Amino acid sequence: MKAIWKIILSLAAVVLALFVVTFTVYFFNLDMKLTAAIEPFLLKHYDKIKRDSHL
Amino acid sequence: MAKQIGADRLGDFYTTGRVRKRREWRGLADTMYDYSCWLKIMLILGKFLMCPRNIKAMFRYRWMANYLAVPMMVDRHTQGLRGEYLRIAHTEFDLVVDDVAKLLSNLFRADRRIGNDVEFSKKCVLVDENEMTAVMMGFPTLKGLSRETVSTYVPVLQNQHAVLHYLDVAQDYGLAGDVCPMPAAEAGVSIDDDAPILGACAIQCNTTCDGSLLGNGVIAKRLELEDGVPCFQLAAPLRHREDDVQEYAAQEIRNAIAFIEEHTGEKWDWKYYFECARRVNVATESRLGWLEMNKTDYPQVFGSNLALYTETNYMAICGKIPEFEKADRKITALAEKAYKKKMRAAKEYRHRAIVWGVQSHYYMDFLLWLLNCWGIVPLTDMLSMVSTRRLAEEDTPENRETAIYDMAWLTENMIMRNRTHGGYKVLLDELWEFCEEFNADMVILWEHMACKALSGFHGQFEEMARERGIHLVWVTHDLFDPRVVSRQGVRDQVNNYMRTVFGEEPIDPTLEVLPDQESW
Repeated sequence: MKAIWKIILSLAAVVLALFVVTFTVYFFNLDMKLTAAIEPFLLKHYDKIKRDSHL
Repeated sequence: MAKQIGADRLGDFYTTGRVRKRREWRGLADTMYDYSCWLKIMLILGKFLMCPRNIKAMFRYRWMANYLAVPMMVDRHTQGLRGEYLRIAHTEFDLVVDDVAKLLSNLFRADRRIGNDVEFSKKCVLVDENEMTAVMMGFPTLKGLSRETVSTYVPVLQNQHAVLHYLDVAQDYGLAGDVCPMPAAEAGVSIDDDAPILGACAIQCNTTCDGSLLGNGVIAKRLELEDGVPCFQLAAPLRHREDDVQEYAAQEIRNAIAFIEEHTGEKWDWKYYFECARRVNVATESRLGWLEMNKTDYPQVFGSNLALYTETNYMAICGKIPEFEKADRKITALAEKAYKKKMRAAKEYRHRAIVWGVQSHYYMDFLLWLLNCWGIVPLTDMLSMVSTRRLAEEDTPENRETAIYDMAWLTENMIMRNRTHGGYKVLLDELWEFCEEFNADMVILWEHMACKALSGFHGQFEEMARERGIHLVWVTHDLFDPRVVSRQGVRDQVNNYMRTVFGEEPIDPTLEVLPDQESW
């Protein structure tokens, strides 16, 4: 019985921790702040790709 | 930070950079709902990125960088919303996000540069972005895929700067700078060698305008002569309300179907067609119901919630995806619930407006801004006032012939072109009829400065509005190019009118001037 409770409590703790982390990311818009930081590197990368540009 | 509608100073969320400071607190229930929808979008994006070929495409195609901004696009269209309005917006936007993710996955699976699934590519038909996909309603085993939707149309919704690079490329190669930026950007993608290569054949159309036709010419040259993808030019008549053009329009549909059959080896399936036609009818009935509600003091599905969803459902989906029928019914149920409770989406409604003309694509959330900043309720917009004709949905020999005409009618009445082409009545006369039906005191008239179809009517709009005592506010923009008229430039035209003509103060003064020049 004790072991079952331990598993349930551990699961609840994991779910709670996941909620706290994801809700913090959501509320403070951290996902968008991160992707905004990535964008310039991607754009530089696209500039380096060789293309067959023509009409 | 409150549950009540209009409690937040929405301008305070803006920064001078790409993104907002934080997301809104909408009260516990609505915040948790919005959070759960955000999680769902993250799962869709996560699932998309789990596929190696999608990662490969992310590093190959410049326009893919704009998909970093998907969650923010949804945030922009849910600004200030609470309760049923928030749920309607998420029902629509989350479904559209999922649908676009599937479209991207299919394109990359077939793309010769990425997935190179040759057998799958043989089952793909390329379609234009601004094209009714009615001719695909009878091909259940084929995929109608639009490269332009994912490379130009959706990216500008997410990032106002999305296609500037492609516009510059098109102009570098000699295309005039004053043509509509939509076909110019699409041509730019093709010139810049940045379009996926796939498909058994392509169906291009003239449904937007002559600018679009010219852009298609550039794209078709590369598709046909270099990539070996045969193209069919579906030329729908411009005078679409005239009876004498309908037989020609129907023949174009027959020819397009025969072309697809010839190049894919598939046969038209009437059972599937009528199934799709039934779903188109459900979508039409739903839209008519929402518009009826919008004629009352308690409009429910309006602004971006009406505009973007109608555009997607009417033109790109055309009854082919059953999930949209479920969404139609859910939206109607939410709207009816809010209507019974006499709910309103903003703390104050001051003006009832019809939004006319071709909207600024880089500022689609402007409709929500009108509501939150000035209390102007965008009851409906030109692009949502599309065909309301009921399609034949029972499979009989007579209805098979009627169905050809129905598809022709839909193609002729593609979103936007059903008003920008077809004459005086569809663009001018019917606007005033809608003003009366919807009891509107204002018209917000988008003036897409590169659109030659509407510019000739400028004086007549002003004259007729004056005769009827309707406030007409011109809002000039350049569709895909915020360098010509910025988002603040768009807002200023309304701000000036509201202050000088109406002598009003904004409901939320923090929204009047926003530092969003660099924003996605």
